[in-house]
Amino acid sequence: MNATVAQTRRATDTASRYAATGLLIRLALRQSRALYVTWIAALTLTTVATVLAYERVVPPGANAELTMAALGGNPTMRAMLGPPFDLMNPGGFTMWRVGTFVAAALAWMAAFGVIRATRAEEEDGRLELLRAGAVGRRAPLTAAVLVAAAACLCTGVFIAVSLTAAAPPARSALAVGLGIALVGLVGAGIGAVTAQVSESARGARGLASAALGAAYLMRAVADGSAEASGLRPLAWLSPLEWAALARPYAAERWWVLVLPLALAVSLVWLGFRLESVRDHGAGLRSAGQGPARGAAGLSGVVGLAVRLHRSSLIGWAAGVAVFAVAMGSLSDAFSTMVSDLPELAEIFRRMGGGAQDLREAFYVAMLGLIVIVLAMLGVQVLGTLRREEERGHAELLLSTAVPRRGLALSHIVPAIAAPTVLMAICGALLGLNEALGAGSVEPMGRVAWAGLVLTPGVWVCVGVAMVLHGWLPQHAGLAWALVGWSLFVAWIGAVLGLPDWLRSATPFAALPTLPVESMDWIAVLLHTALAVVFVAVGLAGYRRRNIGGG
Amino acid sequence: MSAPIDISGLRKTFGSTVALDSLDLTVKAGEIHGFLGPNGSGKSTTIRVLLGLLRADGGTVRLLGGRPWEDAPALHRRLAYVPGDVSLWPNLTGGEAIDLLGRARGGIDEGRRAELLERFDLDPSKKGRTYSKGNRQKVALVAALASDVELLLLDEPTSGLDPLMERQFNEVISENRREGQSVLLSSHILTEVEALCDHVSIIKAGRVVESGTLAQLRHLTRTQVAATLRTPPPADFAALAGVHDLHVVGTRLTCQVDASGLSELLVRLAALGVDTLSSSPPTLEELFLRHYDERV
Repeated sequence: MNATVAQTRRATDTASRYAATGLLIRLALRQSRALYVTWIAALTLTTVATVLAYERVVPPGANAELTMAALGGNPTMRAMLGPPFDLMNPGGFTMWRVGTFVAAALAWMAAFGVIRATRAEEEDGRLELLRAGAVGRRAPLTAAVLVAAAACLCTGVFIAVSLTAAAPPARSALAVGLGIALVGLVGAGIGAVTAQVSESARGARGLASAALGAAYLMRAVADGSAEASGLRPLAWLSPLEWAALARPYAAERWWVLVLPLALAVSLVWLGFRLESVRDHGAGLRSAGQGPARGAAGLSGVVGLAVRLHRSSLIGWAAGVAVFAVAMGSLSDAFSTMVSDLPELAEIFRRMGGGAQDLREAFYVAMLGLIVIVLAMLGVQVLGTLRREEERGHAELLLSTAVPRRGLALSHIVPAIAAPTVLMAICGALLGLNEALGAGSVEPMGRVAWAGLVLTPGVWVCVGVAMVLHGWLPQHAGLAWALVGWSLFVAWIGAVLGLPDWLRSATPFAALPTLPVESMDWIAVLLHTALAVVFVAVGLAGYRRRNIGGG
Repeated sequence: MSAPIDISGLRKTFGSTVALDSLDLTVKAGEIHGFLGPNGSGKSTTIRVLLGLLRADGGTVRLLGGRPWEDAPALHRRLAYVPGDVSLWPNLTGGEAIDLLGRARGGIDEGRRAELLERFDLDPSKKGRTYSKGNRQKVALVAALASDVELLLLDEPTSGLDPLMERQFNEVISENRREGQSVLLSSHILTEVEALCDHVSIIKAGRVVESGTLAQLRHLTRTQVAATLRTPPPADFAALAGVHDLHVVGTRLTCQVDASGLSELLVRLAALGVDTLSSSPPTLEELFLRHYDERV
């Protein structure tokens, strides 16, 4: 570093490095307020609805304590939800049933919010315009983290206040709200780091999702494994579990909450460090050179689609495969457990836990979760069609001999095929452990088939996304609302006692959950036909509308 | 052979905004046609209609003898397009993008591709996200010019190029003209249009307000005349038919004159005795400003 630079740096006081942070906060709020408000409202309502449903789910009676104990000991529920501490209290029950889920969703929101306000803006060149003004070097990241942190805090406060009213004491309600907010803050930290590492917003989102997915998987394996297993303590390594481990409503361990706070602060600090050593617009790794010629396969929309989706699909495949193998390995724990309480079956049904046979119930629960995650993959892959249009790439391609239908199909086909293939792989891997124990491949095929039977629901989601893209491209994001609604219903629809007609208003509800329900070809074929019609209608709209506006 | 582009009465609206209002435009075979107009006048909209990306609301549009909306992919084998704001795939190198676009159009001339990369001084092994605006534009230009097509649709293709590259571009287009390629060149860089184009159309608020060869357009407008005379001109000079903006300082005279009044003016000047005389034809800029700048 030469003398001038050193002098300049000495002269640069802290204030100027953060100059215009307030302005950027207002900008971030202006651009993302609707998104944040939606998230905050959805997560708060989820919590409130659960605590209000408590009386209905747990009927008063002598067996209540016994059933709740059995429920909390059920490894499927533990793997999905986390460790139960005091289920006899509405607050403790709520923390167990949705607390970790809400915390994980909040962390995801915060990570994506930070990436959206930093890397995405930088990638699109807008941040460069701002940074050319009197805006400090650290201002964009500071503003993004502060806005995300404020959103987490808001969620925490709303949850704490509503739980105070519905499930006193206030102290415990505060522990829930604070724990959830702090886990959310960890997500903001993850976003702050990944936004520096990857030079594309898409890459940063992938890294953040991978980190959060790994944290969820680690706690699921730890909580789902047998009581005596050495894996149990691993839960402490997952930030998503820390809100639960603070034991709200069950003799709070306040010190646990130091963990997410410390981690969040460290991650944000790391984000600032990384930002200070990289160039504007660059990631940590400088962009290398590539081939001067296109490979023979890169000769049209199919070759291009392969290039555009390849790395993302490899990441997804690896992620869901690890998840399926890890969750499948838990199935050993179930063979020893017998559900002999008559109330239990009914409770399970209300909890969305599925079958009485614990292992089958576990498969059903896992497949029901995975299929919705894969629907997200399908909608995301199809979303490439819209991004390609927004960035002007569709215009370039359509100025060549590429027909519109070909361009659309190059994204529709992977949006349908990738989740389908991954679902089969996931099912097979979920049954792998049982197959090894039984010395037969039958369980793998059986679970894979149970998974495949659910995939027409994914196709319907992709079909809806295509209809929107063909006819209402500016509202294409609504497809995410359908997937989000499906996840909400699958997760707590049964607990909340939503009316049947509302619970069945998802693309997945009418499909048979094998082997608990018997095969229903009519439902499967109807969903498939519906998906085909949606895709055709969407294609028709796409072929007759203006591309790229004026 | 019919005209590669033949548009009459084209109308296109976006909601309540009228983007194109009864637009007529004909590009003849082998012609380099300049399409002039400021930002937002409808140049890009016209080209997008020609590409079948936008559906016309009225009028008839013929492109290479076909219908741009219905016959899009087939017609696109015979034309190449360069947008003004080129966006490349961030993960593909420039070379990969050139090959992709060329092959998608139906094939690329390998020798031509190498030659153009050389002439435009473009490194094809860099990733799309690392190129500057000018280099992104070069990628699209190489992909378009290396294809063996009848028609080029160029939408402000040089807006990001440096002067050296602009000259290369002019040379390449001139060479292609000799091979009979037709070009629709939308631009607001007037010197470029003046240097390249046989025919110019000026568009204003979605309508072509002037169209013709440069010579024809010049004929329609005024010549700048400056003279030093032996005797001061009489006061009635300003009343001469077709003379405008007359300035006289002693024996020094400057004025603008319509083509129709030029002969009469020269006769009157000669009668006064002329020491020096210069006349300059109107530049394209003056032509252009006449339509757009209310003050001229």
